[in-house]
Amino acid sequence: MASERKLRLWFDAVRRDLRGIVIALLMVAATTTIAYALVAYLDIRRGSVIYLIPVLLAGWHLGLVPALVAAAAGVLWSGYLFYSPYYAYFIARPFEILNLSLFMIVAVVTSHLANSMKKQTELARKREIEMSDLYAFSRKLGVVSTAADIYRAIEEHLAKLVQRKVVVFGPGSANDQRLEDNTVPDKVRAAIADVQCGSTVATTAADEVGTTWLVRRVSERTPDFGVIAIDLGNVRGSDVEDIRHRVDGVLSDATATLEQLDVARAINDAKMRSETEQLREALIGSVSHELRTPLSSILGAATVLTQSPAIAKDERLTSLAGVVRDEAERLNNDIQNLLDATRISREQVKPRPECIEPLDIVNSALERRRRRLAGHNDAVDMDTNLPFIYVDPVLVEQAFTQVIDNAAKYSPSGSTIKVAARRNGHDLILSVNDTGAGLTDAEKTRIGERFFRGPRHAVTTSGSGLGFWIAKAFVVANGGKIEAVSSGADRGTTISIHLPLAPDAPQLEVGSDD
Amino acid sequence: MIESAPVVLVIDDEVQIRRFLRAGLELDGFVVQDAETGSDALKWVTLKQPDLIILDLGLPDMDGADVLERLRAWSSVPLIVLSVRSNEAEKVRLLESGADDYVVKPFGMAELLARAHAAMRRQVRAAAGEPVVRAGPLAIDLAARVVMLNGSRVVLTPKEYKLLQILAQHAGNVVTHQYLLKEVWGSPHVHDTHYLRIFVRKLRQKIEQDPTQPRILLTELGIGYRLAIPEPGTAGSVQ
Repeated sequence: MASERKLRLWFDAVRRDLRGIVIALLMVAATTTIAYALVAYLDIRRGSVIYLIPVLLAGWHLGLVPALVAAAAGVLWSGYLFYSPYYAYFIARPFEILNLSLFMIVAVVTSHLANSMKKQTELARKREIEMSDLYAFSRKLGVVSTAADIYRAIEEHLAKLVQRKVVVFGPGSANDQRLEDNTVPDKVRAAIADVQCGSTVATTAADEVGTTWLVRRVSERTPDFGVIAIDLGNVRGSDVEDIRHRVDGVLSDATATLEQLDVARAINDAKMRSETEQLREALIGSVSHELRTPLSSILGAATVLTQSPAIAKDERLTSLAGVVRDEAERLNNDIQNLLDATRISREQVKPRPECIEPLDIVNSALERRRRRLAGHNDAVDMDTNLPFIYVDPVLVEQAFTQVIDNAAKYSPSGSTIKVAARRNGHDLILSVNDTGAGLTDAEKTRIGERFFRGPRHAVTTSGSGLGFWIAKAFVVANGGKIEAVSSGADRGTTISIHLPLAPDAPQLEVGSDD
Repeated sequence: MIESAPVVLVIDDEVQIRRFLRAGLELDGFVVQDAETGSDALKWVTLKQPDLIILDLGLPDMDGADVLERLRAWSSVPLIVLSVRSNEAEKVRLLESGADDYVVKPFGMAELLARAHAAMRRQVRAAAGEPVVRAGPLAIDLAARVVMLNGSRVVLTPKEYKLLQILAQHAGNVVTHQYLLKEVWGSPHVHDTHYLRIFVRKLRQKIEQDPTQPRILLTELGIGYRLAIPEPGTAGSVQ
């Protein structure tokens, strides 16, 4: 089997060279035509050096064998054209034989030089690409903050080097998550677990559909750098070894780099950073949750109070109970914002998109903010025949509610807030327009930032600077985008939320009503 | 209606929530029974049949969903779940496993009472064979299969009627997308939400005064639909 493969490789090489040889001979033929013209019209008799041109070209572009062939052909033709007797392959004078032999030697050396220079240039270029990849990789490592990000960078880098699907399973918390990656088949996962425990350094596993995976530790010396799984595709046993050698080569380079880059420490740092971040988020999460329970009692109790006959009789008490209720509601919204912010930074926002009537989202948000909008005129402009959208309705409604909140908050009471829904090409645009505080150019660029609050209103209007940031995150998570347009300070704002349309429903099926 | 005062079982481990629920429910004419744990609640229910159960999902001893499941194994008592926000999947699961409706904490008493009354009315209607369901200007005669809007007959296609009929049977309570799709189009179509969107739009054009601002056929985002019914005898203005 091995000898058969060797034969095939040799045959391939010859075939590749054959093409080169043919081209080399054609170049020699072209040179001869020119040389013939020189001899016939200009009577030049010392032109054999012209044959070095095809030799050089062949050596550079086609390889050593075609270059040698070109040299030999060149010698033959120079003998024919430039050495007496002219126009014969036979050479009469002995010193001319010496001359021709010298030419032959020069040609061979030249072709060899050209060929090796070409090889070195290629190698240098390849190194350059690898180096720039490596630099890009190390730059990436420099800015990542979590271990998972580091592994993603390693994965991308290696995938680029071996040109295969590569999955890296880092040590620590990152790998549990990656192990659930459903692009990796069960059997391969078992093999990965094996390698992770340290029982073997490398192994191969085939999945149900016959795809072979190479599973090995990233570093042969230490399990610290995790495990790598490479999808080799549908290959035969003999080729696996081949690819395995290549991967080994790449990985030994990579691990050396990893060691140089001090990845182990970087991973540790990232882990620490992400743990601190997690702790902070967990704290916000649990505090918010703990606040919410008493808030439920406060809000519930306030609504019971407003309902009780004893209080309903006295208008002052009713309005007080109303204050408790409204403020509790406001507090609840603030807590909800904190919880949402935590959810966003933990990347726990997982939209569950469905085909949805856009009117429902607008109406639901307006209903939710009915009391807050009571001081404003709200003008709703919607068509009954809007196309359906394909989004997570709950997230988009929350985003839209935030936008309405801001419009109500930053525009004077009694002013008009216009809410509209319209189609625009492949998008549906939900927009909220107010005549309030507007945005300066500086504010416009920063409005999407977490905790950003316009300095003009930070003192006079309460807020956390989370609302728009949350709205943006929710809209983006749904494949949409959010835009803020304002013609300047105190000239009102229009916020537009662009959302993707639902794919065309199979109208026929629905139309056949019974 | 129920002759003696209706009995409600409140299952919640938070004492403050139980307190305001008791106050609000007693003001509304209920006799209130408390249970702090799921097992206490299940014990109590086997002894006395309440007219309504309010179940908080966060219980110390067992999962609220388990309490619901064990209750539903033998009892069809109207049951409202107290849920937290941003978990639509769980709400749908609870509704599918037999909860009549839910309110999201924090909630107003009026909202809870509206859901509770709707759930109780459904049982009474089923028991008494009341054929006509009213939702504002809309009257749905389930026996005659006739829908009237402000006294004049609305012409519906069979599927539109079927959709409205199911919502009317649950008037005031939410009905999940999955349930509606299964009942109207059959099990293979439980995920074809766009069918529902198209038919709801058509229905709204026939029964709503302003289809862009529906007042009768309401949407519960991510959950399903609700046929709104007026609230007789409760402080509907309070939320």
